[in-house]
Amino acid sequence: MNKFSEEKLAKVKEIISHYPEGKQKSALLPVLHIAQDSFGGWLSAETMDYVAELLQITPIEVYEVATFYSMYNLKPVGKYMFEVCQTGPCMLNGSDNIIAYIGEKLGIKPGETTADDLFTLKTVECLGACGYAPMMQLGKHYREHLTKEKVDSIIEECRKNAEANN
Amino acid sequence: MGVQLLLEKAKVEGIRKYEVYRREGGYRSVEKALKTMSPETIVDEVKKSGLRGRGGAGFPTGMKWSFIAKPEGVSRHLVCNADESEPGTFKDRFLMEFIPHLLIEGLIVSSFALGSNTTYIYIRGEYAWVAEILEFAIAEAKANGFLGKNILGTGFDCEIYVHRGAGAYICGEETALIESLEGKRGNPRIKPPFPAIQGAWMRPTVVNNVETLAAIVPIINLGGDEYAKIGIGKSTGTKLMSACGNIKKPGVYEIDMTISVEEFIFSDEYCGGIANGKRLKACIPGGSSVPILPANLLLKTAKGDTRYMNYESLSDGGFATGSMMGSGGFIVLDEDQCVVKNTYTFARFYRHESCGQCSPCREGTGWMEKLLLRLENGQGKISDIDLLWDIQRKIEGNTICPLGDAAAWPVAAAIRHFRDEFEWHVTHAEEAVKMNYGLAHYADPIHVPA
Ligand SMILES: Cc1cc2nc3c(=O)[nH]c(=O)nc-3n(C[C@H](O)[C@H](O)[C@H](O)COP(=O)(O)O)c2cc1C
Ligand code: SF4
Ligand code: FES
Repeated sequence: MNKFSEEKLAKVKEIISHYPEGKQKSALLPVLHIAQDSFGGWLSAETMDYVAELLQITPIEVYEVATFYSMYNLKPVGKYMFEVCQTGPCMLNGSDNIIAYIGEKLGIKPGETTADDLFTLKTVECLGACGYAPMMQLGKHYREHLTKEKVDSIIEECRKNAEANN
Repeated sequence: MGVQLLLEKAKVEGIRKYEVYRREGGYRSVEKALKTMSPETIVDEVKKSGLRGRGGAGFPTGMKWSFIAKPEGVSRHLVCNADESEPGTFKDRFLMEFIPHLLIEGLIVSSFALGSNTTYIYIRGEYAWVAEILEFAIAEAKANGFLGKNILGTGFDCEIYVHRGAGAYICGEETALIESLEGKRGNPRIKPPFPAIQGAWMRPTVVNNVETLAAIVPIINLGGDEYAKIGIGKSTGTKLMSACGNIKKPGVYEIDMTISVEEFIFSDEYCGGIANGKRLKACIPGGSSVPILPANLLLKTAKGDTRYMNYESLSDGGFATGSMMGSGGFIVLDEDQCVVKNTYTFARFYRHESCGQCSPCREGTGWMEKLLLRLENGQGKISDIDLLWDIQRKIEGNTICPLGDAAAWPVAAAIRHFRDEFEWHVTHAEEAVKMNYGLAHYADPIHVPA
């Protein structure tokens, strides 16, 4: 089973110390972020049970939270997840075309992952980058002012990185 | 350029670093407040400043602070609301990303005023790199004696922690935010009790927006009375506007609230006019939740007066012919945009973000989304427009938190001002999927591109 490294356990302990004594449940959201980053980009039932044990809360308290927030993935996702915003301001600047283009280029529909598990396409709601539309989130960063050319180069960049890491 | 109280230094090279920020006069307000003022006098200065909450509701900050309960032996908390998820709004991100120490400075003074020894910044989870920028700034402030134990030798202790959310608009609502801070689903609480009495971990808590807390810095530096001289009427100080949509220069602008809407949209100092030589059709001036206005009601009120960029003027005419300042998310639509489609994306947003606790909101947002999609796709009936109207009316005011209203208002305003466009989607179904309705009589007659 997956377990945190010593370093990550120390980080978890530090986070718990930010909240009042006995309120270690407050660390749940940050700890789930660390768990998702550490264990393949998604939260399996085992991972959630492990987090429950670490925070001394019941597994259901973790499931409740993991299913509520859109950033937690409850099933495996591709190595690179394109989360493209589709809300009003991005739509006014052509996000529909960008979503369609990415889908065409990767041969998948929103919500799907490519067969090589490299890319997932997901549509999301406003990410607070409306003035730099159209945009998407890729990992911890935003890619803004998207054009077809920009999408091409991002896909290229991901493929190169994936090869370099293999 | 108008007066800049928040972003004046944002473009100074290296301002994210403590030394540069300090050299530019940063952290003076902490020295002044902690060494020469009492918490009560700070609250008084904030009251005098007339500052209104910048998170959307515009509630007077000084008054809010004076409500915090002070039971013996119970800790109190200040929580900074950096959830910023209202479509059209990205001003707090700009402030935190480019001048993070301004927020930290405001938080230290505000924590002192409220007696919060442990203060949290609840930031939307997607702003991961912004959270890192803030953590870096907090560490620098601490290393320089502005945070931690016995700040500046005054005996005041304060820690600031950044808490990342995980993707949920509802967590911007203050009681949902508190639930989320406690490690739970973001289900808003029934009020009362208000957070000022029982908030995080049932302790007295004040939740304020990023921009509100940053504005405490100039208020302390200038004094409340001087701050109140900037702006007009009950719209004191400066306001950050995040402008987006079909304009030449989208971005974040700090405005003096005496400028007109026309100047804001068309002058080169701000939005620079409509992009691609098009005409202005409509605008949602304060984030997706506030009523949309057609151009002719946006630049001038129904009475024919110039409309200004402030709380009173934007809401002049009430919901019948006015809108709201809201969160300052200024969304501009050009002549090629479809109001039905835009409204549909907002309805989908609210359905996605409803926490599901109240049936009018949970069910109503889903119904509105479906009906709007049907109309947008040219499969709607005239009676669908009336049904939409009926649904939004039944949500408004009948829910635990204001997300229900926020979902209802955009639909109501779109039908109120653009009913002909909705009807055209029914009567011209085939055209509606291929082209847009255009300007009709909505366009502002003043600005016709050559
Ligand atoms: C659905 C919903 C979402 C909200 N989102 C935010 C937000 O992202 N940021 C914010 O500061 N206030 C938001 N608010 C308003 C907060 O509940 C609260 O009024 C505000 O943080 C108070 O700060 P202020 O007095 O400084 O404006 C939201 C309210 C609702 C009902
Ligand atoms: S109005 Fe909507 S978001 Fe607010 S508590 Fe009710 S169901 Fe949840
Ligand atoms: S609408 Fe796409 S980032 Fe706001």
